[in-house]
Amino acid sequence: MRAFAEWLSATAPSVAIQSTFWFIRLLQATHLLTAGVVAGAAAMILLRALGWQRNDESFDAVWRRFSPWLTSSLAVMVATGIAQTLGDPVREFTSFSYWLKLVVLLLCVTGTALLARKAGRVAPGARLSVAARLLAIALLLAWLALPLLGRMIAYDRAIWGGLSMRT
Amino acid sequence: MSVESVLASIQGSALAEWMRNTSPAMPIVEATHVLAAVMVFGTVLIADLRLLGLADSTRPFSRVGRETLRLTWLAFGVSVITGSLMFTTSAQTYFANTAFQFKALALLGAGLNMTVFQLVTARALPAWDASGPPPRAARAAGLISLLLWAAVVLLGRWIGFTKGYDFTIPPGVDLTVPG
Repeated sequence: MRAFAEWLSATAPSVAIQSTFWFIRLLQATHLLTAGVVAGAAAMILLRALGWQRNDESFDAVWRRFSPWLTSSLAVMVATGIAQTLGDPVREFTSFSYWLKLVVLLLCVTGTALLARKAGRVAPGARLSVAARLLAIALLLAWLALPLLGRMIAYDRAIWGGLSMRT
Repeated sequence: MSVESVLASIQGSALAEWMRNTSPAMPIVEATHVLAAVMVFGTVLIADLRLLGLADSTRPFSRVGRETLRLTWLAFGVSVITGSLMFTTSAQTYFANTAFQFKALALLGAGLNMTVFQLVTARALPAWDASGPPPRAARAAGLISLLLWAAVVLLGRWIGFTKGYDFTIPPGVDLTVPG
């Protein structure tokens, strides 16, 4: 993994990102703000699934309102994340937080899509099943874990100890 | 009592000492601060877009505000606690940092904007709350809020790029590249 990361960091696109100071800062700033939009939109959808927000609206209405914000900001967040990875692959690929963040992101996307399908079938005003509400709580925590894990990349070894591949 | 002596006593406090020397207190507090800050931005954005008339236009602002701003205040409370804990670790360096000073100004501006909205602009709320486009003053308040909270998040990140640290960074902690 380290050898691949070192090879990647010597490629032209990686060198271009590394050597453009303002571009790295711009990527990080965009990544951070879109993380906020993602977290806010996901929280509203999942809190509605739990019946803790916007109960006067159907789940479908809340999904229609927030899912475009969730998906579009997620797309920008992923794109800026890939560019940041390309700009410093050794730092990212040797971080346990980074890999955990990717797994959690995958679970968030698939789990939320699954929950939306389930919740869309429930009659307006009816409560979701216990299993679906437990899934919503788990997904809420998982979406909130993403910015947390993102920042933890800087502190990987201090937090994860031997699980970190950093030396 | 001078500002310098207050900062020195904060930085020399037992809490600051604990924050600096207890692994992994600082990483967890800082990551939680980032989470809280992005949640403040993400939830305040929902209310601001309603004020701008760009989203939730069929939903009363009073309702949108009541629902989302509860989450905003919760996140803001967490960010104040975690931010204060981070501040203790190197109070003098934070205080002298330009990005920190601008962040403090942006926070003050956001607070003033909210106060003016509540005390002045919101008086006309019944006229446009449930229907109709928000008046110019309300849209201005939404835009100012959006810009100031984005600035708070970005300046917070900028502090990390420019501040430096008043203590030895423990082994395995990478605070320098690229952020």
